[in-house]
Amino acid sequence: MSGRAGTSGTDGSRSFLWISAAGLGLIVALPALFVVLVAIFPGVGSGSLAAPFAHLIATLGDPELLLLGRNTLVLGLGTVGFAALLAVPLAALRALFRVPGALIWDLLILVPFMIPPYIAALSWIMTLQPRGYLQQLTGLHLGPFLFSVPGIMFLMALNTFPVVYFILSRTFETVGARFSDVGRVFGAGPWRAFWRITFPLATPGIAASLLLVFAMTIEEYGTPAALGRRIGFEVLVTGIENRVSEWPIDLPGAAGLSLVLVTMALAAFLVQRWLLNRRDFRILSGKPQAIEKRPLGIWAVPVVALFAFVAALATVIPVLAILGSALSRTISGGLRPANMGLQNFAALLDSGSEGLTALGNSLGLGISTALLAGLLGAITAYAVVKGRGRFRVVLDALSLTPNAMPGVVVAVGIILVWNQPWLPATPYNTPLILLLAYCCILLPQPVRYANAALQQIGDNLEAAARVSGASANRAFARIVLPLMAPSIVTSMILVFAVASRELVASLLVAPIGFETIAVYIWRQFDQGSVGLGMAMAFCAILITTLIPLLLIAVLRRISKNASFSLS
Amino acid sequence: MAYGATTILEGIDLDLPKGQVLALLGASGSGKTTLLRLVAGLLMPVAGQVQIAGRTVADPAQGLALPPEKRGLGMVFQDYALWPHLSVARNVAFPLEMSRISGPERAARVTRALDRVGLGAMADRRPSDLSGGQQQRVAIARAIVAEPPLVLFDEPLSNLDRELRETMVDELAQLVAELELSAVYVTHDHAEALALAHRIAVMRGGGIEQLASPAELIDQPASAAVADFLRLGTLLPARRRGGGWVIEGTDISLGHGPGAAEGSAAQVLLPERALGLGPRGPARLEAVVRGQQVRSTGFALTLTIAGTDQVLRLLAPHPARPGEAVALSYSQDALRWFPTGT
Repeated sequence: MSGRAGTSGTDGSRSFLWISAAGLGLIVALPALFVVLVAIFPGVGSGSLAAPFAHLIATLGDPELLLLGRNTLVLGLGTVGFAALLAVPLAALRALFRVPGALIWDLLILVPFMIPPYIAALSWIMTLQPRGYLQQLTGLHLGPFLFSVPGIMFLMALNTFPVVYFILSRTFETVGARFSDVGRVFGAGPWRAFWRITFPLATPGIAASLLLVFAMTIEEYGTPAALGRRIGFEVLVTGIENRVSEWPIDLPGAAGLSLVLVTMALAAFLVQRWLLNRRDFRILSGKPQAIEKRPLGIWAVPVVALFAFVAALATVIPVLAILGSALSRTISGGLRPANMGLQNFAALLDSGSEGLTALGNSLGLGISTALLAGLLGAITAYAVVKGRGRFRVVLDALSLTPNAMPGVVVAVGIILVWNQPWLPATPYNTPLILLLAYCCILLPQPVRYANAALQQIGDNLEAAARVSGASANRAFARIVLPLMAPSIVTSMILVFAVASRELVASLLVAPIGFETIAVYIWRQFDQGSVGLGMAMAFCAILITTLIPLLLIAVLRRISKNASFSLS
Repeated sequence: MAYGATTILEGIDLDLPKGQVLALLGASGSGKTTLLRLVAGLLMPVAGQVQIAGRTVADPAQGLALPPEKRGLGMVFQDYALWPHLSVARNVAFPLEMSRISGPERAARVTRALDRVGLGAMADRRPSDLSGGQQQRVAIARAIVAEPPLVLFDEPLSNLDRELRETMVDELAQLVAELELSAVYVTHDHAEALALAHRIAVMRGGGIEQLASPAELIDQPASAAVADFLRLGTLLPARRRGGGWVIEGTDISLGHGPGAAEGSAAQVLLPERALGLGPRGPARLEAVVRGQQVRSTGFALTLTIAGTDQVLRLLAPHPARPGEAVALSYSQDALRWFPTGT
């Protein structure tokens, strides 16, 4: 008997399953596996399984771990608190009331997504430090707040609160339309309706988006490294980086700390998934209807002032600080017209300059990462969604694993895998190693987009092609791929935007003498060439974010005009 | 033929003469769509054989399992399954493209197929610009354009609203007759099956309950279940008493009927079409009006047989009042008997 029970005749995904398994194994499974292996068996590189757990127990018992873990937790929770304080009131106001200039505020609050956190942190240093821009303009400086734990939390909240704001304003809008109005019909006043119906129904959404902020915070390297180190506030991410890059190098220790960090990130991720998949939240997944928003009346002025204040903190000040530094001939010269000029940009873009090389490197790597991750993501999603068998569950889990692997852990894993002395050939010390790191970090994006697109493509669209005489591969190429294309291209653009300015993995695994945009900016700050660094930051935001975002907008417009109704 | 780990289909043995339409009729879960997908090659059987136009396309015993694209079929799907990124003409041209028919011939055949379903003017539109009925016509054009030896219809009209469905049944019947298509038509709507098919296989629980022509099916249903599914009339419980049959628990006589032991039970179908208003027929029943619905074709009465809870339905030319007693007549030859054993 050849036909296994239940085998589909349209089972064209066999080869995809293998391509996906090979790709995920190389890019995701190996680094993840080696982090675990080395943490447990420190001598595994030299083929020894001696002293299992000894180093891990030593690492776990180290009082320093306790401190790093506690600091990480405190930083995460504090940032979540600040982010909630910033986002929840704004989102509720935005969703339920007619806020003047709502679209402009949305746009301004979107900008922090485009500024990499390390660049935002550096711009706040330029603004708030003693003799910074704030002091030059007002005579005051907030140095003590900037270089304090609450200060770090607040800055990280400024980078992350837009996530909460956008998720929540949508949730509030849906709930407000569908349920709170019903409550009002049955006699609840607007405040009662909000507290008794809208807010409780939005709670899972609030909690899930705050967990996302928590995960983003504990995985972030740039801000704690730029600010925390000056006051001796180390977290797990910076602790891992220290063990990898500073003498004495302690790779098993880094692997052990990585395990702790991954456990925390994984917990946040799993709780978040659980919250979002619960039934009582699913009822909110509907499209927000056009609701009659209530006027603000005399509250219009204070509400607009609040939006303006937050937008200024999150967007206007960092952008102006970046521009101010980039345009200053010398930082010590301050914000005087005589000190302004384009010299930094000229020096940055001078042909053959280090900056131009770094830009080229990052763009090349960004494009390669987008292509590779996009392709692997599409193939994996297809094998998972349309394929059969138990193996696809493994693939699905593997493709989501990097969600719980912060960049620094991916870097540690890659160092552990490709630095093994017995390897006959290794991409280590070549730009290829960065490609592997970026693909691992960013793979979940295209997988998620392709998954969503595939769910929309009915099985019969492919079956119809098969019955019409197309082979499995032909049906994929002619029907499935074109229908997935808009989603995949969008995800590839996003991958490009993030990969081309990634910081911590680049710092740790870039070959000697090979600079990317982020490494270049980071180094300019260390060396005191702040103006040059900020000029690069400005160009990076422009090239890696603004242009891709415009492309996505154009793509949306095009695919909307083509008006695919995928049913 | 059998399929599935827990056998979903078993003991199916059907053949379809060229140029005929076979309907697979059944409720959801009866296995009719599974059977169709086995024929299409979208599923593979674990035992048995599938032959199309004299060629074996699936036979697990020989290790043979042709994929769908090697079977040369046309298929119309319930959800249309038109490709949203291709124009109407490109959708219809796809099967020709796959069999490497190109240039002017392809264009001519696409035009001919679209004209046949009345959509010649829509060739350059996107499927999403068309109404549901038009989309289904495109799907039909795509299924017939390559002139396949067998066309499969998977509940093609169930997504359309009632009026459109009735028009489409007529159009489809005409098209099938004109092209002399050999077709397998899956549906849960007995009116569609009766209107379109030469033969109907009534499916239930993964098996075939009855295979017959439409006229035979309504005249001689093989079981109470078939009669019930086709809504042929009222199924009454009957018991043998004193050399004749009575409605269970009453003295109302149903005539001599088939011979059986005293006290044995049976189900009897009283077909709606055998029932008339007024006392003039060969056999009579007293009934009480319970309710009525006004229809465009008359007054649909719900009645109970006097002294019982047995519900009858009847289309009357005149209105009636609830509670009113009416006399009904029927012919005892029209009754159909299904023994139940106890």
